[in-house]
Amino acid sequence: MSDMDLVVEICGSAGEGTISAGEILSRFMSEEGYDIMSFDSYPAEIRGFGKCVAHTRVGRGEVLTPGKYSDVLIALNDIHAIGQLPVLKEKGILIYDNKPPKYHLEDQSVVGWLEPGMIPYGIPLTELSIKASGNSKARNMVALGAFSALFGIDKTSFIESVKRRYGKKKQDIIDSNVNSFLEGYTWTLEHVRKIDPFRFDGTGAAVKRDQLIINGNEATAMGALAAGLHLYAGYPITPATKIMEIMSKELPKKGGIFLQTEDEISSIAHVIGAGYAGKRAMTGTSGPGFCLMSEFTGLAVMAEVPAVIVDSQRGGPSTGMPTKHEQSDLNIALNGGSGDCPRVVIAPTQVDECYQAAVLALYIAEKYQTLVILLLDFFLSNSIKNMDHPSPPDPKYLNTHVLPDDGDLPDFKRYKITDNGISPRTIPGKTGGMFFATGLEHDERGKPVYDTKSHTLMTEKRHRKHAGIAAEMIAPHITGCEGAVDIGVVSWGSSAGAAREAVAHATAKGIKAACFSTQFISPFPEQALRDFSKRCKKILVPEMNYSGQFANMIARYMERPMERLNMVTGLPMASEDILKKIEEIA
Amino acid sequence: MPSNDHYVIIGNGPAGNHAADTLRENDGEARITILSQESVLYYYKHKLTEYIKGKTGEKELTVRPSHVYKDKRIRLRLGQEVERIDPLENRLYLKHMEIMSYTKLIIASGASPRILPSVSNFGKYLALLSSYTDVLNQLPEIRKNKRFLVLGGDLISFKFIRMLKDMGKDVDCLLYADAFWPFNLTTEMADAASESLRKSGVRVLSEDGLKAVKQTDQGFDVMTEKGHGAIYDSIYAFLGMVPNISFVLGSGIDTDRGILVDDHLKTNFDNVYAAGDCAQIYNPDIKSYWLSVGWKNASVQGEVAAMNFLGAGHVINPSPKKILNVEGFTVDTSWWEAFE
Repeated sequence: MSDMDLVVEICGSAGEGTISAGEILSRFMSEEGYDIMSFDSYPAEIRGFGKCVAHTRVGRGEVLTPGKYSDVLIALNDIHAIGQLPVLKEKGILIYDNKPPKYHLEDQSVVGWLEPGMIPYGIPLTELSIKASGNSKARNMVALGAFSALFGIDKTSFIESVKRRYGKKKQDIIDSNVNSFLEGYTWTLEHVRKIDPFRFDGTGAAVKRDQLIINGNEATAMGALAAGLHLYAGYPITPATKIMEIMSKELPKKGGIFLQTEDEISSIAHVIGAGYAGKRAMTGTSGPGFCLMSEFTGLAVMAEVPAVIVDSQRGGPSTGMPTKHEQSDLNIALNGGSGDCPRVVIAPTQVDECYQAAVLALYIAEKYQTLVILLLDFFLSNSIKNMDHPSPPDPKYLNTHVLPDDGDLPDFKRYKITDNGISPRTIPGKTGGMFFATGLEHDERGKPVYDTKSHTLMTEKRHRKHAGIAAEMIAPHITGCEGAVDIGVVSWGSSAGAAREAVAHATAKGIKAACFSTQFISPFPEQALRDFSKRCKKILVPEMNYSGQFANMIARYMERPMERLNMVTGLPMASEDILKKIEEIA
Repeated sequence: MPSNDHYVIIGNGPAGNHAADTLRENDGEARITILSQESVLYYYKHKLTEYIKGKTGEKELTVRPSHVYKDKRIRLRLGQEVERIDPLENRLYLKHMEIMSYTKLIIASGASPRILPSVSNFGKYLALLSSYTDVLNQLPEIRKNKRFLVLGGDLISFKFIRMLKDMGKDVDCLLYADAFWPFNLTTEMADAASESLRKSGVRVLSEDGLKAVKQTDQGFDVMTEKGHGAIYDSIYAFLGMVPNISFVLGSGIDTDRGILVDDHLKTNFDNVYAAGDCAQIYNPDIKSYWLSVGWKNASVQGEVAAMNFLGAGHVINPSPKKILNVEGFTVDTSWWEAFE
């Protein structure tokens, strides 16, 4: 069917191959020309026990969200999978192991909890895995074989994809996976009577696409590396650790420096040190780590040192929910730390935007000599999307130091008051270019001063930079109906995909709606929002935090009441929830 | 005082559903579970041909929506097959490897298509169609294919052939007089049926049988005993039904063709009852067991079994004879008629 839009969940215990099965499925579907988005959830303890869910949405059209409800649930673990049944659609399909090694006690089998209307397909996953590979570890591949047989997926193409996935492994591992896939495929064709309408068309025949399949963390790391990152200092923390892992491998290859520091305070200190030395530097963390870095954010701004912090938000406050999604670090990103401390905050809305956002973050930090916070979140960091290979960054974003003329050096004013707030700076070692760099208020030479005039001038100078940054920022993304609309949805960060999708559905239902979303939070596209607001009867602001941090922030630009949709479910914003709210208030 | 009873009903047809409703009406506390091999909601079997033709939708085919079960606090577990029963321990072993306990059990598992020994060698080529699941599975093929061979002889086969003709299909029918269900055709009846089908454009091959079937790229290459050869896209067999009781065999519950029950529908275990097409009911008047067929009979038996379950002591009575008109000839029958 050409309008195929299918959400598949694979649910198992950590270590059962749940996530890798989801990855294989996503990769194959992307290769076959489908748009995909995946979002995995796993226990905070990472490995050994606990529930894992690999969630993949496959569509012919643009896939903006992972989808709240699933069409297919593949259960590798009955007890865990029972917990996923509430999100299985009314006519959803369950693929489960109907020959586990021993009997379940009553009500501990996932199929026992299916609601009428759902369709169970029992496959002897364990038996077939043992038959094909000698052990039960390949149940995930048996399940993928069954899935492929049920949904008309070309087995030859799928096997080729599996071989590519395991290409660097030993031959017996590749054979074990392929054989298990084939066992599941063949058994299903021979024994299962299909009674559901789902069927993929064109697999095995579609034009193959060479695309990247990456998550937001990977896209961010790629962007930073492409933008000439020289130093990455970090301390592991979910959900940002993946960036650090990539940097540890890739940065040294490019002649850069990777440092795992003793804590987050040390990380940001290293970044500021490198920035002071004229090198592009970045750190990555999450809310708890960002809190520790707060003191140094002020130093970067006050001393006008380039620094980039990636904050991938998770459920908070404190250590909160490490593996759950939330958009609740906006306040601290915008306002954390002491004093009037202007900083740039960029919150990409999609995986592919993370790449360009990282390039921009390093560029802006260097050119404007300031702090840039790249605000990701758990969902964006971990959601996997297919995207075209990005073009290398425009050279204008590389090496953008604003250096002083040699003629200025004899009387070098590192913090010279300028119209755009940017003062030429020297790289340490430059003869005659020495200056004080301090967190204390200072004069144009950097010498600490506390007089009214200097503080006023310097505060204005630091804030003036934002006018220049605003002129370079990415324009807001506006979708939906043109002209006057009943509902205008204003969104940010990873919730924007759900907002756009909800608006598209609302429009299809005859509701005049439009969506405004922006990657730039600070500076903010104020006039664009005002213009958008003027054509909306009602404004709805959906976000994944309790207090409406974004709505509170934009209230200053729009002196009008707003409808809010605030959720703290630990899950990504769902278009279904926004659509429901739109329908309620339309 | 809350009941700890768990009433389990195997079967989601008229007997099972009437039993469940009756139990809930008379016991507001007990847990009630219906287990069904099929994955679909309770449906009208007689509307399946209209559904295949596209004249009836899923909604009209379904007897009741799923929320009714929730409203009545009846747990409906679809697509879950019983593998065996342990009536001594009051346990069911489900095929997907789950053990379920019950305090009382009603078996209302209906009947399944049978394959006559004379065609069993060709079983892998024969399509059977007796349920909504069969229809959902085979619908694309039925709609797509043009040439059908129907091994027929039972009431359902006539209905299926009529449907195929309405859909503009080419149909040949191999008439098996000994396969008529719920009873055998007399020669006169078989002749009358053949004549009626021929008038509808169906080529009827009577007093003949399958000799060879070969699957080729063009379809099923069929040769009959009398030398009729043709190629078909599909071969359907409607050769009667047999009680669906394989999971009961060896459990200690008495069976013959069906599950043997007394005229209160009770088996040889006090807390196990059977109703509908799977039950073989004792008739004290003739001192023998009889099978019954039909939606109405199953419904009544479901209610009676449920009431007796709860201690009512109702006796099941034979329904009166009724007249069926089958392909132009008249049949007198009732659910006490002999199976063959």
